[in-house]
Amino acid sequence: MSPRRCWLALLAVLLLAAVGCSNELDTGLTNTGNQQVQLKKKEDLSFAVVSHGAPGDSFWTVVKNGAEQAGKDLGVKVSYQASGGDAAVQSQLIDAAVNQKVDGLVVSMANPDALKASIERAVNAGIPVVTINSGQDKSAEFGALMHIGQDEVVAGKGAGEKLKEAGVTKMLCVIQEAGNVGLEQRCAGAKDGLGGSTENLQVEGSNTAQVESTIQAKLQADKSINGILVLGPIIAGPAIQAVQAAGSQAKIATFDLSGEAIQAIEQGKMLFAVDQQQFLQGYLPIQFLELYATNLNTVGGGQPVLTGPGYVTKDNAAQVASLATGGTR
Amino acid sequence: MTTTVVQPPADERVATTGRLRRLLIRPEIGALFGAIVVLVFFSILSDTFRSADGVANWLDPASTLGIMAVAVGLLMIGGEFDLSAGVQTGTAALTVAILSTKYHVNVWLAILIALGLALAIGYFNGIVVTRTKLPSFIITLGTFLGLQGINLGLTKALTGTVLVSGLANEGGFTSAHFLFASSVKFGSHLFHVSIVWWILLTIAASYLLLRSRFGNWIFASGGDDLAARNVGVPADRTKIQLFMGVSVAAWLVGTIGVLRFNGVQASQGIGQELIYIVAAVIGGCLLTGGYGSVVGASLGALIFGMVSQGIVYVHWDNNWFKLFLGVMLLIAVLANTYLRRYAERSRR
Amino acid sequence: MTKTTAPLLEVRNISKFFGSVISLKDVSTVVRAGQVTCVLGDNGAGKSTFIKALAGVHEPDEGELLMDGAPLKLDSPRDALDRGIATVYQDLAMIPLMAIWRNFFLGSEPTKGWGPLRRFDVEKAKKITRSEMGDMGIDIRDPDQPVGTLSGGERQSVAIARAVHFGARLLILDEPTSALGVKQAGVVLRYIAQARDRGLGVIFITHNPHHAYPIGNRFLVLKRGRSLGDFAKSEISREELTRLMAGGAELEDLAHELHEGGVEEAAAELESEARELGV
Repeated sequence: MSPRRCWLALLAVLLLAAVGCSNELDTGLTNTGNQQVQLKKKEDLSFAVVSHGAPGDSFWTVVKNGAEQAGKDLGVKVSYQASGGDAAVQSQLIDAAVNQKVDGLVVSMANPDALKASIERAVNAGIPVVTINSGQDKSAEFGALMHIGQDEVVAGKGAGEKLKEAGVTKMLCVIQEAGNVGLEQRCAGAKDGLGGSTENLQVEGSNTAQVESTIQAKLQADKSINGILVLGPIIAGPAIQAVQAAGSQAKIATFDLSGEAIQAIEQGKMLFAVDQQQFLQGYLPIQFLELYATNLNTVGGGQPVLTGPGYVTKDNAAQVASLATGGTR
Repeated sequence: MTTTVVQPPADERVATTGRLRRLLIRPEIGALFGAIVVLVFFSILSDTFRSADGVANWLDPASTLGIMAVAVGLLMIGGEFDLSAGVQTGTAALTVAILSTKYHVNVWLAILIALGLALAIGYFNGIVVTRTKLPSFIITLGTFLGLQGINLGLTKALTGTVLVSGLANEGGFTSAHFLFASSVKFGSHLFHVSIVWWILLTIAASYLLLRSRFGNWIFASGGDDLAARNVGVPADRTKIQLFMGVSVAAWLVGTIGVLRFNGVQASQGIGQELIYIVAAVIGGCLLTGGYGSVVGASLGALIFGMVSQGIVYVHWDNNWFKLFLGVMLLIAVLANTYLRRYAERSRR
Repeated sequence: MTKTTAPLLEVRNISKFFGSVISLKDVSTVVRAGQVTCVLGDNGAGKSTFIKALAGVHEPDEGELLMDGAPLKLDSPRDALDRGIATVYQDLAMIPLMAIWRNFFLGSEPTKGWGPLRRFDVEKAKKITRSEMGDMGIDIRDPDQPVGTLSGGERQSVAIARAVHFGARLLILDEPTSALGVKQAGVVLRYIAQARDRGLGVIFITHNPHHAYPIGNRFLVLKRGRSLGDFAKSEISREELTRLMAGGAELEDLAHELHEGGVEEAAAELESEARELGV
């Protein structure tokens, strides 16, 4: 037998052995849409959170902290996986969670269409799904129990209106993550709320030096810009520096919090931050899924549970700051 | 002219040790050991890992990585690198997605146009590398950056977004989806058809490398392309064809992805190019060219798939994955080197 | 083999220039089938340019080549190969990582089947490699051995066996013994004799007259691109050949200068050396 056929045979044998080795899941993943949910005891529960964030990202770490805190408070197992923005990886992680027969799945859908097949498979397997943060429009369509997050268009509009109150007439909206529908929605909402002129600026979120120089260049090229809306706290720092370097009087606001951002608000360098309280986006799904698993409770009445927009301004910045150091804001 | 032929003496001792040595000296042996070790390791720790659904789950990332690793591995054996391989998957996917959703071109036609574009990019890479005689690392780095910009800029300019989706509504989608993105059912378990594409491609590429004239030319072009040219091997043409092969593989992976996920992000594929090279190196391909194995590259991709999903099944922190991959790479390279040296020495 | 048949290869007054550098000027020689013509000269004499002109890499700027009496124009190394001129370069055109049988048939792989099923006939390749090497007197136990694991002399023999197998009529060997020890050099000279005995014409390039003289039928000596003479074996002795190459006349001039400069001992030494060389 030629060497090539040897390898093929070996591969085939390995695959068949693996398939043959297990009979446990043969009856598992069939459509259980109308099946009665088996109630479980709290100690046996395990939940999986699969987000589209990057591992180690400061925003998503707060979400992770929320989920893990809920796990501790309730005595249930929680695992958090970050897919780094790759839809294929995220769908494979969801498939893995379904194979592990978790009692609940929490997913953030930055690219809903790509995750549709995997989420529907989970739903068909009888696993309750809660979507968080992004993908609110498709949540019910895919069969999720509910959506917890911030309506980005609503939040954007609020931010735009607040900037308008502060006297901004032309605004720069800085998008730091390509392919994120939520960010685009924020800018769209802000444009609506501002009523004036808005321009979107694409930057590479992972390269803060480049972010600063790009914003600075923009400010120098267009002196009529008097407001900057950034969509993530990582961008707040470079934006503040860019404004100073360009000698501009533009007012800055951001979405989401970081220690640095809160400090900037306290010091008056930034006007406000739109807070979606992402800690709740980690905590609440676990709490609600636990209640569903033990008591069949549903929350929201078919409506999303909104965790924002909250606003952090100079008035409450100090208090929020002390909470943020604990990783919960 | 003398017609007597010297018959080499039949020596049975030489024959048996020869076969063992010949097995150890194969470039893919290190990857095979690694794959078995990883398989056994995770199977013991997690029954979900070794269940049918688990297998389908870790074969999934292995298959798309494997298609690229095979093509990139062939190119490495031929003595060149292609750093634009990852971003080309995005270019192909975006071409299909934009043509069909924005311009309502039939999905099949869009796929064919994307193939034509891929061949052109591959040809471009090949021609520039062979004409300028500059390192392919640098040339394809340029292609990588250029395509990264085009993918993002052109998509934004044409569609206004960076996430193009909605293919499912276009003509030709269902049949194309069936060929490239459907799932094969074994009982109640679904295996993605990309796995079939991957296996077929591995077989075809291995046959090409080991049993065809072109394969001999690939080894020669990578081993010493000047010597090869001196005996009449078309080294330049071979390399150009290998670059085009990588582009076709990227087109296949891009097409599979865009049909399966009903859309594509403009940033797709960026960062994957080094992973393809890692898989090929684990599989026994030398960075300096002239030696390696297609089956080995596929095994490298298989290891990658098993580890990335295995870590989830044993509830380890996903962050350790990169560390595991780095250690795996070093072990594989050392194993390949020492096994080969041992086998060489026992020959004398 | 009478003198009335045309020689296998005739080189008539070829010259080659690279810009303003004269690499070869008015070089002529003859190679007959079944005979060895040695091309001698120190480094920089123009030997490698000479080979490249015969191997189809460079086209001579002046003069002509004739094969079997007819004018010969070579477009490429492939063209030269097709006409039966096989060149074995110093770096051997062998690829160390590849197996012997792969190297043997590189560029001329045997195939079986047609159309898309056309494939490299591996079994045939291995079989022929073993038998051809056997014909040269080498027992290759394992044709899968990478060429890089062979000794220098063995590698030369593979290269020569390859050229012979593919029907070379003229074999050009570029300094085959230069990097080898005494015993290995002797072995290679034996292979050259075998090739010659099989009816090939051989051009043997070297800078060592002691290797050239035993096996050569004709000797061309190059110095700085020009020919110092093209001799049949009967026309020159080993000592004369060596002297020609070592530049005995120059040694004498140098000795004379040293005499005049008053450095007597050195001058005396040089004189005795020149005498040993047969000046």
